[in-house]
Amino acid sequence: MIDVVELVKEYRSGGGTVRAVDGVSFSVRQGEMVGLLGGNGAGKTTTMRTLATLLKPTSGTAVVAGRDVRRDPIGVRRSMGYVSATTGVPDRLTPRELLDSFGRLHGLGPNRRGEQTARLTETLDLGSFIDRPCGRLSSGQRQRVSLARALVHDPAVLVLDEPTSALDVLGSRDLLELLATLRAEGRTILLSTHRLHEIEHRCDRFLIISAGRILADGTLDALTDGRQGGLEEAFFATVQPEAAS
Amino acid sequence: MNASQHTGGWAARLAIARRDLLEFIRDRRAVFITLVMPMAMYPLLALSSTLGIRSAITELDNREAVTRLDLVLSGNDAESFAARVAGIASRSEGPPEGWPGNLTIRLADEADALSLIDEGGADASIVIDRGTMAGLDGDGTVSLDVRLSTVRPPGRHVRDHVVTVLRGVADEAKIARLARAGLPASLVEPIRIGFSGVDDPSRASAVREILPTAVAAVLVLLALLTATGAFYPAIDAIAGEKERGTIETLLIAPCTPFDTVCGKFLAVFAVTLATLLANALSIALTASVLVRLLPLGPGSGLHAGGAAACVLITLVAYLGVAAIAAALCLAVTAASKSAKEAQNTLTPVVMLIAALAASALLPAAGTRRWLPVVPFTGQVAVARATLGLFSDRSDDDARTAAEATVQPPDIVFGLTASLVSSALFTWLLLHLTAGLISDEEILFRGPDAAASGLRRPRPQRIPSIGQGFAATLAGFAALWYSQGFSPEEFVPALLVQQASAVLVPLAVMAWWQRIDTRATYSLRWPGSSGSRVAATCAAALLLGVGLFLAGAAVALAAWGGDVSAEARQLAERLVALVRGAPAWHGVLLLAVMPAVCEELLFRGWVLSSFAGERPAPRRACVAVVVQAAAFAAFHLLPERMPQTFVLGLVLGGLTLATRSILPAMIAHAAHNATPVLLITTASAGDLASLEAGGATALPPWVVATAIGCLAGGGLLLVAARQGLSTRDR
Repeated sequence: MIDVVELVKEYRSGGGTVRAVDGVSFSVRQGEMVGLLGGNGAGKTTTMRTLATLLKPTSGTAVVAGRDVRRDPIGVRRSMGYVSATTGVPDRLTPRELLDSFGRLHGLGPNRRGEQTARLTETLDLGSFIDRPCGRLSSGQRQRVSLARALVHDPAVLVLDEPTSALDVLGSRDLLELLATLRAEGRTILLSTHRLHEIEHRCDRFLIISAGRILADGTLDALTDGRQGGLEEAFFATVQPEAAS
Repeated sequence: MNASQHTGGWAARLAIARRDLLEFIRDRRAVFITLVMPMAMYPLLALSSTLGIRSAITELDNREAVTRLDLVLSGNDAESFAARVAGIASRSEGPPEGWPGNLTIRLADEADALSLIDEGGADASIVIDRGTMAGLDGDGTVSLDVRLSTVRPPGRHVRDHVVTVLRGVADEAKIARLARAGLPASLVEPIRIGFSGVDDPSRASAVREILPTAVAAVLVLLALLTATGAFYPAIDAIAGEKERGTIETLLIAPCTPFDTVCGKFLAVFAVTLATLLANALSIALTASVLVRLLPLGPGSGLHAGGAAACVLITLVAYLGVAAIAAALCLAVTAASKSAKEAQNTLTPVVMLIAALAASALLPAAGTRRWLPVVPFTGQVAVARATLGLFSDRSDDDARTAAEATVQPPDIVFGLTASLVSSALFTWLLLHLTAGLISDEEILFRGPDAAASGLRRPRPQRIPSIGQGFAATLAGFAALWYSQGFSPEEFVPALLVQQASAVLVPLAVMAWWQRIDTRATYSLRWPGSSGSRVAATCAAALLLGVGLFLAGAAVALAAWGGDVSAEARQLAERLVALVRGAPAWHGVLLLAVMPAVCEELLFRGWVLSSFAGERPAPRRACVAVVVQAAAFAAFHLLPERMPQTFVLGLVLGGLTLATRSILPAMIAHAAHNATPVLLITTASAGDLASLEAGGATALPPWVVATAIGCLAGGGLLLVAARQGLSTRDR
């Protein structure tokens, strides 16, 4: 569902360029939930923004649901839902209006928009605030609205950049349970987070990225390789030699 | 799970517009400022203006409508004369028209009378000598000498009142003489004039003097306030979305950035239109109140049909104001990271719009046929001309020459040109915004980017888009300020102008940015072999000559001799310069120097900044159009702008096609050298007919030469570019 090959992304900075993603390659199969792990500035957000077609790759290819992000960005957007930690919701619209608006943008007819709003209201438990302006919602409620917005067109792929960063423990657990439900429906999910313990037993696979390069790609068992300390220890063991060099 | 279908296009644009409008109307403060405030502002403005106008009228009344007259009579017949005057004042049918309301007559000797008028005790003195009354009652003519103060000049009313009083005495004597001759009094009064239903004419006249200026100021204010209607929704639409983090959700929607920008434009345009209508309604209601408050007098307003036509044409013209303002504000705010930054950036936009709108009030503005194509100026000019056309003022002398010569076809042409130009500007601005909204650097740059403005940037190969704008603006500013210190003589002025407007800004910016001069100014040969370079240069030469001749033919057909005084003056100075010096002198000054300087600026710095190093076709087109527009505007005179714009397009295309500035310099030099050489070789008769401005078409052989040069240049260029490797291209 997601195929990334030798992806490179450079930014202009002052008079020079900075290589934020440096030849990244990985795949995420249909129905898989994969965690993208890395420190600040490792290249997670740049990779995800490139997959979401917000950034154009400098070189390499990225294919989402069979569509190339460079050649068919609109096709990619039709098949994908994207939420990031910085994604906001319009303060003066209600969740219902927001979902209706994005349903229109995705070309859904009135009946389909109504059905999707009802389904997402139930799935994401939006009923108690569906007609309240988003500006008056809590962080957790806003994040659920963001996720509903990303799901309004029923996408096969979800790319979630630190979706739990603004949430408390309870909100975070609820959201991750929701993601597990969505994966069970057959959706492909790529998510990043700094809270490794939260996703340790929820993701099928993990990608560890540092300085724009993928350092490890495997299941929890493969990464820990029988070591104590779980995912967090495996992460440090992978990243620290790189950081030290 | 399935991918959504049939996305983008008008459905997406309307969805975004609907969403933005919904957000806008939920913001009560914004709705109040944008739509409700004008309803309160115009009445307040009108009230204060009305009070001012009425005070002015009262002052005029006090100054002009004085009805008091103090006369001192001296001489032997003074007493009889005074009695005659008193009789006229108290006659049953009333005194003659214009008779002073408060007339005092005193008798004194001649010396006392002079002292009295010099001290301010009386307005005038008349010596009534012995025999005056006998003369009046006889058949002769008596001479009276009215003496006014030599120390305190009296008001105009004193002279008028004295003449009225003496004419009253003379008329009575005239009627008595007719009666003695057995003739009726009507013999000398075939017409008696009476006025009815008239307000005080002096008051009406005062208001009518002020009214056209006030109406023109209101038209400028309407344009400015209509444009300000776009500010808040535009800030909220892009910069606000960036601040709230919602812009990403739109940019990952399944539509193009242009669809997104169009949707946002529709929302901002709708709010701006609502602002226009709110302003127009408030103006109409306020005007209807003012009509009752101010003594306008007859023939000073519009008849009902004319008023309706004026309102309709003004509203249609101002659609352009609303559209360009909405697109301009979106473009400006698209480059801002936050609402605060957008507000700061919009401040100069307000000043620009105000300056453009107000320039339509310049005295000669009404005579510029192509003025309606200028944004914000054109719409005000069309509305003003419409008002002049439909005004039923009877005193044509009081109308300006521009108003008096406006005809309905001019209005239709102006309105059409204004609407077409507005649509074009809007379209260009929307494409620019679509580029800016998805620009990664602008979209994801950190807050430190704005704070690093005064730090010298790292060296880079070519200037950025912002530096392209900066060079253009610096050039315009230098062009303007250099007029203050450049010498009166034409040649030194030309040198100062090119140096200050082109070379100095370029040198400063190139030093500041430390750009790669070869990449920025395309300092390369236009081909890898000598024959290709020669063929490309020859093609450029032919294109330059052809463009001048074709441009001159079109300009002559369009303008004929009907050009502005400034254009005529410039032409005369150029002809004088060319005729008064050797040909090489003219070619060097008017062709080679501008070709080198202006090409370095426009096809060098500006084009490379907008196009980038290896531009995609669409970006290359936008870059060529933008630099050509700046190049045309640089030539200041509206008559020259169409030709310079086309020249800029060709030179920009030539530079990008050959990746060298040399062909553009050659074509530019050939373009400018053609008239120099034609004038140098022309006969005195040809020049005389040129100066008379009678010609409206070039001879057929010239047109044929133009076509030949353009076709030959084009073919030669294609041939020179044939078989080039991709690297060479």
